Amino acid sequence: MSDQPYHEMLDDVALYALGTLPAADAQRVRAHIESCAECRAEYAALAPAAALVGVTAETVGDLANCPGTLLKPRIMREIRKTAATPASAPARELRSPARVPVWPAYLVAAACIAIAIATSLYNVTLTTQLRDVQNKLAASTTRSSQLAGNLADERSTISEIMSADSKRFTGNLGEVIANGSKLYVAMHDLPAAPRGKVYQAWTLAKGAKDMAPSLTFVPDSRGVAIVALPVDARLTDTVAVSVEPEGGSKAPTSKPVLVVPLN
Amino acid sequence: MTEDADVLMERVRARDADAFEALYDAHHRLVYGVALRMLGDASGAEDVTQAVFIKVWTSPELFRGGNFGAWIVRIARNRALDVLRSRATRGESELPETLPETDSIESVAFAHIDAQYVRSALAELPGEQREPIELGFFGGITHEEIARRSGIPLGTVKTRIRSGLRKLRTVLDRTVTA
Repeated sequence: MSDQPYHEMLDDVALYALGTLPAADAQRVRAHIESCAECRAEYAALAPAAALVGVTAETVGDLANCPGTLLKPRIMREIRKTAATPASAPARELRSPARVPVWPAYLVAAACIAIAIATSLYNVTLTTQLRDVQNKLAASTTRSSQLAGNLADERSTISEIMSADSKRFTGNLGEVIANGSKLYVAMHDLPAAPRGKVYQAWTLAKGAKDMAPSLTFVPDSRGVAIVALPVDARLTDTVAVSVEPEGGSKAPTSKPVLVVPLN
Repeated sequence: MTEDADVLMERVRARDADAFEALYDAHHRLVYGVALRMLGDASGAEDVTQAVFIKVWTSPELFRGGNFGAWIVRIARNRALDVLRSRATRGESELPETLPETDSIESVAFAHIDAQYVRSALAELPGEQREPIELGFFGGITHEEIARRSGIPLGTVKTRIRSGLRKLRTVLDRTVTA
């Protein structure tokens, strides 16, 4: 790098900021930036401009190019599996920092002593029990709100697939529902996918020879899964579902558990 | 936007699902848009969007401050590149996911995260500079491939990309301070 003319080095810094350098060159430029103040300043100037190029792809107000309505519920279901209990994570205060009151241990001890002096141990026990009940009630209330939100998302989908205008194509373990251009797979009694595996939908476009990979999903505890497929139902000939490794496959690697021709 | 995102990420680190949901609502169209532009198919773009936000949840420590919007654009582009690589052998580099020191222009632009606003700035560039920048960012190809496809000498492509980025920076400076 040190033998490279300075203007060429700056060109490489710009390519690095845009992410168009081959991996080996990127590593070389990254190391150079660490030790060269001028190139570091150039990178600091150009990297924001490069990142902003991505903003031009934002799909604001363009419903035809927005993610499906089931994407958010699917992600949120995964997130809530490992979320903290609502009691330690207050909800609906997104404009202000989360302030979880934490009492220093000495204050807690002092409070306990004061309470012990002023009241009987019996009263302390009652207070603790009351606090537990209040916490449980708060947790139940928040959880109910979450479930109501999920239910609203799913209800809008269900109303579409239950519409009298929908065409139903029944297969083993589930059915495919077409409503105008929209296409859904509704599975029932689906066994849990083996560890490290998920279910993946496949679509065969009319006139196509090969199945195209579609969304991956897992059923809920009842074995139910409803998936909105991001293809035009009117242009689709067949829908299939198979078990695939997490992350999905480019072509089916197992025998499909569902194959439904749409005719 | 920046302050809110910082606060929300603090809460995400404390496993607050509501804070995560607020981040998702504010940025999912940006992530999906980048992925859709790069991959060209809705299914792949949804998968990338899901992978990016799951990563935000499972590895919030990877965000080390700076502008959240800029950071998540980099994550989205890199995940979409992974998909492109799985479809065909490619050797292009990823965007560095750690950010340079907080930049006022970036912060202001992302605070008003308005695709049309940045599109206008990009449209002010001459085509010979804008095209290799867009091809490099969204096409996920190296400058060498850009030169080969366009039949332009390698050195010229490099210079045009740098000139274009500098000019974009200037246009954004002017627009933000106007």
